[in-house]
Amino acid sequence: MRFRNSAEGYGIIAQAFHWIVAALVFVQIGMGLYAADLPVSLARLQWLSRHKSLGLGILALVLLRFAWRSLNPPPALPDSMPRWERRAAVATHRLFYVLLILAPLAGWFHASAAGLSVNWFGLMQVPDLVSKDRELAELFKLTHRVLVGLLALLLVGHIGAALHHAFLRRDGVMHRMLPWRPRRNV
Amino acid sequence: MTRRLIPLLFLFVPVPASADDCRAVDGARGSVSFEVRQAGSPFRGMFRGFGGEICFTQDRVTRIDVWLHPATVDTGLPEVDAALKETEFFAVKEFPRLAFASTSVEAREGRQLAHGALHIKGKGHNLDVPFRLQQEEGRWVVSGSLTLDRLRYGIGTGEWSDTRWLGAEVKVVFRAALR
Repeated sequence: MRFRNSAEGYGIIAQAFHWIVAALVFVQIGMGLYAADLPVSLARLQWLSRHKSLGLGILALVLLRFAWRSLNPPPALPDSMPRWERRAAVATHRLFYVLLILAPLAGWFHASAAGLSVNWFGLMQVPDLVSKDRELAELFKLTHRVLVGLLALLLVGHIGAALHHAFLRRDGVMHRMLPWRPRRNV
Repeated sequence: MTRRLIPLLFLFVPVPASADDCRAVDGARGSVSFEVRQAGSPFRGMFRGFGGEICFTQDRVTRIDVWLHPATVDTGLPEVDAALKETEFFAVKEFPRLAFASTSVEAREGRQLAHGALHIKGKGHNLDVPFRLQQEEGRWVVSGSLTLDRLRYGIGTGEWSDTRWLGAEVKVVFRAALR
């Protein structure tokens, strides 16, 4: 197993970043959706606190991941893919980084403006980004939701494309992000 | 007989009125704010409706009688304000006002200390409140801060008594001009 990316696939570091962030993003979206509908209660306070802490954790991981990617460019997509598809894939991946940074940031701005500062998993006080302001809080909340909505749409496209490559085209594109070799390769 | 009674009459003559100057707390000029920890972070709010009366001689306070309407709580989050008015917190329908009345006030260096009782939600507990009375721009201003244990007064019962998520200590800061 390689640590760095190669022409054939992603290295173990990039894969670990990908799958850990992916799992956390699903947990995060689930917690956010669940907590958002709860009435003011201890459960809401607990789930939203965890959501905020995890969101900051994801933000930190994504920034590290981005730094690793900058030092270690991803493998090129195969020439068998039409040009527009390769462009769409690159654009999707870039937009993922943008959204994975902006969505937690908007959440952090929302928490700050709402006066509900974050204490990271009860271990560390996180500074506020803006001072308390009800109108700003509403604006950041909407921004956070729109960004997460876009992220969810992008996820659908990304997963759909990955499964398409894995099961219909069987061109090895998805396997570049898996630690094992494909059983069948075209 | 009548002559003998005359000295007794003096017992009913009030102490010179100039001794005590009683003034109303100006609810429009001041603030009562609080801070409590939620999930480990400070969370702040204030009460908009409060008032009362404070009596003093020169700058020595002799009596404090103040109240506050918990229904005027303002945390900037309407859904939280609504929850704070419910039975688990201030139960404002049943207990529309909380009050502090002094039993004595002693002077400390530069400040004063009121001994009295704070009544919230039908529960009364003795409380010492350090404060200052100062003249600012021609107005008497009373200010101070104190820390309360919300659980003693039944503020945040049931699931909210979990102090890991909602701290027991509530810091209160007040400042008000007198009319």
